[in-house]
Amino acid sequence: MRFFTVLILSLLLVPSMAQDPDWVVPEDRKGRLSTFPFTDETRKEGERLYQVNCHSCHGDPGRNNYIALQPPPGDPATEKIQNNSDGEIFHKVTTGRGPMPSFRSVLTTEEIWKVVSYIRSFNRNYVQKVMQVITSSAYPGAVISMKLAWDDAAKLVSVIATATGETGSVPVTGAGVRLMAGRYFGMMQVDEEKVTDNSGTALFATPEGLPGDTAGNIRFSAQFTDEQTFGSVSKDTVLRAGVVTVPVSLTAKRAMWNTVRKAPVWVILAYGLGVLAVWGFILLVMLKLRDIFTVGTALQERLQASGNETTTNN
Amino acid sequence: MDEFRFNTPREKGKIDSLAADILKNVRINASFLLWMGFLFTLLAACLFAYTIQLRKGLGVTGLRDFTSWGMYIANFVFFVATSLCGMLISSVLGLIGYRWVKPISRIAEIIAIAFAAVAGLVIISDMGRPDRLPYVFMFGRVQSPILWDVTVVTTYFVLSMLLWFFPMVPDLAIAKDRLEGRPKFLVKAYEILSVRWMHHEKQYHLLGQAVRILLILIIPTAFAIHTVTSWLFAVTPRTGWDSTIFGPYFISGAFVSGTAAVIIAMYFFRVNYRLEKYLNTETFEKMGRVMVLVAIVYFYFNLNEFLVPGYKLKTGDAIHLRELFTGHYAALFWGIQLFGLIIPAILLLFKQIRRPLPMMVISLFVLVGSWFKRFIIVVPPQGHPNLPIQNVPVEWVVYKPTLIETAVTVASIVLVLIIITILSKLFPVIPIWEMAEEENGKDKISE
Ligand code: HEC
Repeated sequence: MRFFTVLILSLLLVPSMAQDPDWVVPEDRKGRLSTFPFTDETRKEGERLYQVNCHSCHGDPGRNNYIALQPPPGDPATEKIQNNSDGEIFHKVTTGRGPMPSFRSVLTTEEIWKVVSYIRSFNRNYVQKVMQVITSSAYPGAVISMKLAWDDAAKLVSVIATATGETGSVPVTGAGVRLMAGRYFGMMQVDEEKVTDNSGTALFATPEGLPGDTAGNIRFSAQFTDEQTFGSVSKDTVLRAGVVTVPVSLTAKRAMWNTVRKAPVWVILAYGLGVLAVWGFILLVMLKLRDIFTVGTALQERLQASGNETTTNN
Repeated sequence: MDEFRFNTPREKGKIDSLAADILKNVRINASFLLWMGFLFTLLAACLFAYTIQLRKGLGVTGLRDFTSWGMYIANFVFFVATSLCGMLISSVLGLIGYRWVKPISRIAEIIAIAFAAVAGLVIISDMGRPDRLPYVFMFGRVQSPILWDVTVVTTYFVLSMLLWFFPMVPDLAIAKDRLEGRPKFLVKAYEILSVRWMHHEKQYHLLGQAVRILLILIIPTAFAIHTVTSWLFAVTPRTGWDSTIFGPYFISGAFVSGTAAVIIAMYFFRVNYRLEKYLNTETFEKMGRVMVLVAIVYFYFNLNEFLVPGYKLKTGDAIHLRELFTGHYAALFWGIQLFGLIIPAILLLFKQIRRPLPMMVISLFVLVGSWFKRFIIVVPPQGHPNLPIQNVPVEWVVYKPTLIETAVTVASIVLVLIIITILSKLFPVIPIWEMAEEENGKDKISE
């Protein structure tokens, strides 16, 4: 018994003790910056994403109401998190550690930066540094961009990568690209990793019948696999590439998990009739009690009457 | 048809002597007041603990996200189980035609009433926001076993009350003229509750009908109350609860703890109320046999409940059973099985053991074992949920009841004792008229 307690306790303690209290981010990741400037719009979107993905553990920034985990998540408004560089926060959110989940396949690069922009809004001293030119060793000095498009006839998503320098635009060729599609939980990879051709285009086949929203829209996110060479570019685009899906509410029909009004008929009947039957019999029994009382009353009156007679007779 | 029962002088004399024996305990004396004073003081102390829980919430208990059902729910299951004795003794054994249950059927009903009544309160003590109790009735879902449970516990309580009250009506009529020196309110209560009972055959006929309906009605209700209690667990896919035999497993366990409770009460009334004549060694010996029978049935269900998953050892079951057999709960588990079930059943096979005092001692072991058995059923399965427990403070994982929790549980037990004391001190515990009938029957046979 004691052996097991000790075993359980030590198993619980091991992961937290074995972990380095300092969460060290690799040097080359520390300096990573957002490719877009933080604006009110990104902060607003970031707040929404934070509420959905982070709030359950980290609580409301500035109120220190994060939940009791080991190690503690910490309040994003405090130094614990604000002392991180942008790149460090980005890396930690992407990779996760222990109870802190990895958001790599949940949020896109752009979305993570938006969350960072929201977190930074709690730091008065913060001054953003934007990555002006997306550094690429293959196209030095050029700004790399991506464009996503949907070919409805061929059922293909095309990603076109372009490098724009002082001398004009050229297609980015031979670059590995990964395409992700937003699903209910996180992101799903679409097709395999593709390499851009001579026109800078990579084509991705979407699975047949891929469900979209009520308008058939799907959120896609494309990214270079070799960010060192081609730059940490990512592009989020909504394309009408899915099948129109109107979700049917799970509480639309009668079901075990529904409210009482929409309970399965058999449950209502079984419960209702059972209760009615038993309490009906209880009522019957109570009526018997009344009968006993009535009989007793009549008897008493008769006895009294005959008693009176006897007295008068005497 | 103008017949009155107990009309001949001989029968009247019989009633007189029985009433003298049995009614001598119906009184408010110093020892009663002292005992009640003690119980109420204890209750007050324990209720103070409850006010702390009410103010600060369930955080003052050992209950956390993982083990969210602890001592309270185990205690609830135990109470519901023990209350089933009323049905077993009066209905099942009574309807079969065993006459020896006559003197103890009222004792069994009193225990049933007390445990059923407090079982409902115990559930409330497990609620963090008891002020939301009305929501069960306002928004209750008939799909939820919790609602079924609330319904059947209430119904069973009412039926037990009626089964206690109805057969007592003739006794109340007999007693109401023999209560010299008792408080006025009691005499008045007897007067009202005896509903103009005149011992007329017509009234006996009506009473017989009512009691027969109740005796039959309480059997499905009692089965429902404890089957539904078992479903609170069995309808979840959690290892250790996910069992198809939980209904009969709980019912057979209930018979064990209920029988034990009745034997303890019998012993107490026999010695304290000097009712050796009615709660005689013969009755004890019969109850001992009943105990052996129900213990064997319960053992059989235990065998099924543990051997079958133990043979297959599905991953979850393996973890759960290892905890019970050799792990954290091993000492408790084997202690309960051995000292609370197997050894008592074996001992009671011997006629020399089936005597009042040894049986009372054995029943104490069985009853305490029954309580801890419920703990074993309720708590350990929550220690290994289907999703792993990760990265939370240790005290969230290992459930340990707190002092406050224990005090509130003690309060419920004290409440049970208070109800039993009141019912058995203000009303006759042995059915006077039925005993008189019994003796009549014997006379007739010997005549
Ligand atoms: C399941 C709970 C949980 C969720 C959800 C969660 N976190 Fe965390 N987070 C933690 C924990 C626990 C830590 C501490 C991990 C450690 O130190 O090993 C942490 C650490 C961090 C850190 C590093 C803090 C430091 O000390 O440097 C950052 C930044 C962070 N989280 C941001 C986020 C963001 C942004 C989100 C939402 C996208 C998020 N977290 C969602 C639990 C969570």
